Amino acid sequence: MKIENEDALDHLIICHQCHTLHEEIPIEDGTKACCVECRSVLYRYDSRLIDHGFALSLTTLIFFAVANFFPLVQIEMLGNEQFITIPMTFFSLFENGFYVVGMLCAVVLFLFPLAIFVLYVMLFLMLKLKKGEDLSRRLLVWLSYMKPWSMNDIFLISILVALVKLIGYAQIHMGVAFWALAVFVLLDIYMTKHIHLKEIWMLRKQIFAEKQ
Amino acid sequence: MIEVDEKNLIRCPVCEAVNIDKDKENRCRRCGSPIYKYRRFKTEKSWAYLITAIIAYIPANLYPMLVSTQFGKTEESTIVGGIILMWESGSYPIAAVIFFASILVPIMKFLVLVYLLISVKYPLGKDKKVNKHKLYYMTETIGPWSMIDVFVVAILAALIHMHNVQIIAGTAATAFALSVFFTLLAAQVFDESLIKENR
Ligand SMILES: [Zn+2]
Ligand SMILES: [Zn+2]
Repeated sequence: MKIENEDALDHLIICHQCHTLHEEIPIEDGTKACCVECRSVLYRYDSRLIDHGFALSLTTLIFFAVANFFPLVQIEMLGNEQFITIPMTFFSLFENGFYVVGMLCAVVLFLFPLAIFVLYVMLFLMLKLKKGEDLSRRLLVWLSYMKPWSMNDIFLISILVALVKLIGYAQIHMGVAFWALAVFVLLDIYMTKHIHLKEIWMLRKQIFAEKQ
Repeated sequence: MIEVDEKNLIRCPVCEAVNIDKDKENRCRRCGSPIYKYRRFKTEKSWAYLITAIIAYIPANLYPMLVSTQFGKTEESTIVGGIILMWESGSYPIAAVIFFASILVPIMKFLVLVYLLISVKYPLGKDKKVNKHKLYYMTETIGPWSMIDVFVVAILAALIHMHNVQIIAGTAATAFALSVFFTLLAAQVFDESLIKENR
C-alpha cells in the first residue's frame, strides 16, 4: 500500500473491537458505518456534531449536579428516618476509616464523571469558537484516559440491589437525585454510543485545517 | 510517497488513530501519546498488576465484606456467605447478580488476562479461531461491573447507621476494591499490539 504522507492514514480505521483494518468512506448525514467482521460501529457522520455535542454535554452536566445535590433515597426503619446523597456514600466510608475504597468511589462516581462532562462542554465550546488547537488536543487525551473510570451506570444498578436487600426491613422512598442519576446514566450511554472521541478528533482536524 | 506494509499499522491506544509502527520511538502522530513505550518490558508490567490483583482477591474472600450490628448482636458476612444468605432467603436475582459481579467476572478476567499474557509469549491458541482482540475487549467492558458489591456495601453503610441497627463495611471491601483496581490497570497496560505479533 502506498500513501502520500502520514496524514493520509486518517482515512484508515482499525476496528476497536476486532482490530480489522478498514478504509473510511463518506457516509450520509445521520448514518453510521459498521465493521464488516464484528458489526460494531466504526464511525458516524453528524453535520451538526458541535451543536448536538454541546447541548447534550451541558444537559448531562445539569442532571449530574441535581443527582449529587439532592437525596438519593430515603428510608424509614424502626421509627428512624434516614436519607443519603451520592457524596454521602463515599464520605461515610472515609468516616469509618475506609480511605482506599472511599477514594476509589469518590473518583469513579464523582470526580471523573464531573471532569469528563466539564471537559466535553469546554471542548465543544472551543471547537465552536475555533480556538485552542493545542488545549483541545490535551482535553481529548485526558478524556480518553478518564472515560473507562466512570462508573455511574454500575452505581445505579448497585442502588437497586441495595434497596431490594432492604425490602421487608424498611420503607423506601426514591429521591429526586435517583431519577436525575437515571437520566444522567441514560444520557451518558447515549453520548458514548453516538459521539465517539474519534469523530471529535476528525472534526478538530477539519476545523483547524480550515483556519490555516 | 511512503510505502506502508498493512501489517505495520497499529492503533493508538489513546486516540485510536492509525499509526505506522516505528518500533522504538513510537509517538502517536495525532495525540502525541507514546504508543507501547513499555515494549522493552513487554508483558512484565501487566503481569505485576495482575498478580497484585489476584493476591488482593484472596483476603477479599476470606475477610468479611459487611458487618451488621442489630440490637448489640454483630454479624459478619463474607462475599460467598452473603450470596448463600441471599439465596437461602429466596432473593435469587440478587444472589445471581452478586455472584456474577464478585465471583464470575473477577475470575473470568484473571483467566482471560493470564491466557492473553501467556499467548503473546508462547504460541498458544494460534491455530484456533479465537479472536483475542475481541476477548480482550469483552473483559474490558464487563470488568468494571465487579464493583457492584463494593457500591452496595457503601450504600448500605451510609444508609443504615441508626441506634439499634448499623451496617459498616468490612476489611474485604478494601481488598476487593484494590483487586478490581489492579485488574483494570493490568488490562489497561496490556500491549494489544503483541497479540498481532504472535498470531
Ligand atoms: Zn470489528
Ligand atoms: Zn493517539
